[in-house]
Amino acid sequence: MSAFWLVASILLPILGGLCSMTLHHTNTRRWFASVLLVVELFIVAILVPQYTGQLVLLKLTGGIRFVLQVDGLGRFFAPLICMIWFAVAVFAYEYMNHEGHKERFIGFYLMTLGTLMGICFAGNLVTLYMFYEAMTLMSVPLVLHIGTPKAFHAAYRYLGFSVAGAGLGLLGQFVLQNYCTTDLFTPGGVLDVEAVAEHSTLLFVVFVVMAIGFGCKAGMFPLHGWLPVAHPVAPAPASAVLSGLITKMGIVALLRVVYYLYGWEFLRDSWAQKTILVLSLLTIILGSSLAMREDTLKKRLAYSTISQVSYVIFGLMLFHPIALAGALLQVLFHAIAKNTLFMATGSIIYKTHLTQVSQMRGVGKSCGITMWCFTIASLSLIGIPATGGFVSKWYLTQGALHGIEKTWAWIGIGVLMISALLTAGYLLPIVVDAFFPGKNFDVSALKKQEDTWLMWITLCLLTAMTVIYGVMPTLLNHWIHPIIQSLF
Amino acid sequence: MEELLLYPVFVPMVCGVIAYMMGKWKKGMRDMFVSTAVGLELLLVLTLLTNPEMEGARLTIEGFCGLALSLRDGQFHTLMALLTATGWFTATIFCKEYMPHVQNQNRFYLFWLITLGATIGIFLSADLFTTFLFFELMSLTSFVFVIQTEEPEALKAGETYLAVAVIGGLCTLTGLVLLYAQLGTLSIEQLGYAAANATNRKELWVAGILVLVGFAAKAGVAPLHIWLPTAHPAAPAPASAVLSGILIKTGIYGILVLTTTVFLYDVAWGALMTGLGIITMVLGAVLAVCSIDIKRTLACSSISQIGFILVGTGMVCLLGEHNVLAADGTILHIVNHSLIKMMLFPIAGIIHLTSHTYDLNELRGFGRNKPLLAVVMFIPMLSLSGLPSLNGYVSKTLLHESIVALIHESSVPVSWVLTGVEWLFLFTGGLTFAYMMKLFFCLFVDKGNRNWTSNGEYMAEGSTAMLLTYSTLLIMFGLMPNDTMDTIAAFARSFLSGAMPNHEIAYFSWVNVRGSLYSLGIGAVIFIVVVRKLLYRKGIYYDPIPQKFSIEMGVYRPVLKFLGQLFIVVATLVDCLPFRLLSQTMPRCIDIWLTGLSHIRTYLASKLMGEEQMTHSNVEQVADDYHFAFYDDKPQKPIGFVHSLAFGLMLTGFGLCFCLAFILLHK
Repeated sequence: MSAFWLVASILLPILGGLCSMTLHHTNTRRWFASVLLVVELFIVAILVPQYTGQLVLLKLTGGIRFVLQVDGLGRFFAPLICMIWFAVAVFAYEYMNHEGHKERFIGFYLMTLGTLMGICFAGNLVTLYMFYEAMTLMSVPLVLHIGTPKAFHAAYRYLGFSVAGAGLGLLGQFVLQNYCTTDLFTPGGVLDVEAVAEHSTLLFVVFVVMAIGFGCKAGMFPLHGWLPVAHPVAPAPASAVLSGLITKMGIVALLRVVYYLYGWEFLRDSWAQKTILVLSLLTIILGSSLAMREDTLKKRLAYSTISQVSYVIFGLMLFHPIALAGALLQVLFHAIAKNTLFMATGSIIYKTHLTQVSQMRGVGKSCGITMWCFTIASLSLIGIPATGGFVSKWYLTQGALHGIEKTWAWIGIGVLMISALLTAGYLLPIVVDAFFPGKNFDVSALKKQEDTWLMWITLCLLTAMTVIYGVMPTLLNHWIHPIIQSLF
Repeated sequence: MEELLLYPVFVPMVCGVIAYMMGKWKKGMRDMFVSTAVGLELLLVLTLLTNPEMEGARLTIEGFCGLALSLRDGQFHTLMALLTATGWFTATIFCKEYMPHVQNQNRFYLFWLITLGATIGIFLSADLFTTFLFFELMSLTSFVFVIQTEEPEALKAGETYLAVAVIGGLCTLTGLVLLYAQLGTLSIEQLGYAAANATNRKELWVAGILVLVGFAAKAGVAPLHIWLPTAHPAAPAPASAVLSGILIKTGIYGILVLTTTVFLYDVAWGALMTGLGIITMVLGAVLAVCSIDIKRTLACSSISQIGFILVGTGMVCLLGEHNVLAADGTILHIVNHSLIKMMLFPIAGIIHLTSHTYDLNELRGFGRNKPLLAVVMFIPMLSLSGLPSLNGYVSKTLLHESIVALIHESSVPVSWVLTGVEWLFLFTGGLTFAYMMKLFFCLFVDKGNRNWTSNGEYMAEGSTAMLLTYSTLLIMFGLMPNDTMDTIAAFARSFLSGAMPNHEIAYFSWVNVRGSLYSLGIGAVIFIVVVRKLLYRKGIYYDPIPQKFSIEMGVYRPVLKFLGQLFIVVATLVDCLPFRLLSQTMPRCIDIWLTGLSHIRTYLASKLMGEEQMTHSNVEQVADDYHFAFYDDKPQKPIGFVHSLAFGLMLTGFGLCFCLAFILLHK
């Protein structure tokens, strides 16, 4: 029976999404989507994890087949995604009022969730690739939503980069296939030791190519160019999930390649590891520096995503249990914090139509709760204690010091700290200006609209999660431990 | 019973939130509630102090914020917690008088109480990780104090304060990360042992210095003192009182933890502390002598006094196991400075309430017919200057004696240096007297242009009672040092690894009094020569240091700005480079190549067939469809191709070509 639920977890949102496009009555559509997402969350969190084993859906040729399986990684990512997807959906009900084409948005929004579930539960790289491309195609309409020439430009940029990145990933699979004992993702790797012995250089090259390819979705340099273009034009809920979760699918793919195909022992101390480490550190600094430059808040946040997601790549390339824990926590906390930030931005746009940082002076007086959530999420991104971001950065730095040579560890910590400083530099002035506009500031000039409780309730819930999990990260142990135990 | 330790930390934070909500509803009730909450806090801390079961109690919550929360009771921890609770209590009494004139009180009281909890948390912390957690919280929440009034100066001071807090906090965090990785513990009890067995002292020093930066910045140690002189005048008076009286001591707490654990009896560290201490001490005092703003003078005085405390910390390190004099002196100077500043800043606030200015030139003659104000101001001033019979004298004597003791212990070249230190110490004591006298003369002796004859009350009853209580306390401590101050020192001493002294110290012996008299004499000379002659011309005090001439404006801000711009420029270059190569250079090359090719073909065709031939249109002209090739606001832009679907597909094509090549070559 649980095999059925596994397939259902993928098909339900896709079919539901198709159905919801035909629902034109606002309340009906809202209830339909809400119920669907709750059911989905229930399936993914309770029913699917019971499934052990492989579910072969389809065999194309001898080596190529579609397989689903449920392991620690899927059990961690899938409920996280469903939960945030639900929160953002609730926010979107209200927000999309001023964007139009609500059916289309909710439809594609739900269908994208299905493909994400597919990525989480994919059993081999071919399946993962299929869902990965499907995710790109399903999420393009989200970016395209407003339909201006700028949006078309952004959507094609997004499509081009994503397809190119995934293509590089697939390319790796063609080569890798010959050296694997099985195509299934297996903790510890599936490389055939005898076959590999002579071709390690080739495999390293392939690894770097695959990492860059999948790193495209995660916004890693050099293929990060789509993020700052796609985010500002997409509606706020779409940017929120793009930035918070869809970028993380690049991380899932990378985790699968590193830990479930190659095996970290094969890559340890190789030049391939160092290359990706350098790229991730470069991206961390690059993203943070560029974010300082931007005046459009959403663009600033997009660059911030580039930087923050590379923290994860840095952590997972250190091949140390503590660092991997840090990386997974960073996935979680960045997802929560970035969703909060994008939704807070959306909420401000919705209420006051302000998009530029320089216009946001005194905004804390008119959107108090929103800006409070924005503040706490900002602190989490910087890594100030009692928020989640601090915990993940603490683990990342500890992992770096234990997992890799001292020089690399110190460079890594230096980069992380400089980036934290830059993050403070591009987020805190917004907060300070918003709450402390100066004595002569005319508060009554601010546009004020009625409270939109659907918006701020989701913001408050996510913010509460940042703080609660930040104070007590041990609550997450039963999600993260199984992954790390199976790998180290 | 250990859970009792959590209450003083978290009860005020919860109360803060309640007060905020209450304030939206009824203001009077909120004020009552805040006073009650702070009183309750004082009771909670007193419970910790008096409850015999709590002696040395420890509480650890594993997994808190990724490592652990651990609190402990006893010794220095409780003493500092008591000092904090008392200070907050008195400042809250004073708030009643001062705060009604300030906007956004709700916000202020919310952060007022949260900061209280965080500060208590810092002092009760049993490991550096917990210290850091509360330290960051305190840094951020106290930012609201500085920026509270939202005047332009306050905004600027707040900017500086926040920058120092964030940068310092990150340095400390980096240091702690390194320290934890090297030693495997951050617990104050185990750090000393772990550090003594550490193999690599060099790395320990790197970590130690990084941790020091954050704490030193908070304490106001030169050259990181920049936030103090601007933040204090900008904050409301009760907030400046706790900033100066208590919050800067959190930095000292961190430094003391480092000194007594990681660098216990480390000579180099002691020398560093002493050096920093002297610079801070002299610099602060000089700035204070020059200042013409009453609150700025007091802020600079705080910097200077932190210098004294640091010199004591250095002596704790240098004197080795016989450091009881230095340990007592350091602890008592922390206590004394806190008590004195808890009086002086509220007085400055009281003056501001009537006069609406902090400028000395405008304030001249303000207190000429206010004898009560003169008395309550004169006592703490003299006490800080180290007049025998007041409490400041006791701690300064102890610090002085510890320097003398070290001179006796060390050999010739070192002892000369130390004698220099001793004289600088006395000289700074003189400067203290000089700037205090400057304030006093200005307020109570000079005749001003304005008529300050008061019509009615200038001080509320609560504040008067508080100031008189403190004055009595200062005199009592000063007159009976062996019964009062020694007991306090003995209670907290073991934190600084001070052993029991051999005998009671004779504070009023001639040797000790002489030091103080030297200092006061120097001060009197400086006051007459420098302050009255050089800095006071034509009946106007003036500040010889130009406003722009500061380390903040001259060094820190330009350097940070430059680095920020540098990062942006380099990042922009790196960001553009590969994409430009791919998206502009390559299409252009292809374009040139295609054009060249078509030229050749035209040429060949005309040669072979002898007639002109039309060239075929190129890719861009074919794809002249709005949605296929051009997606920018300006159509027909020459690089439109880059932004098209075609380009995305081309990238994919490249990927597939690579792939094909790979497979073919590999097989």
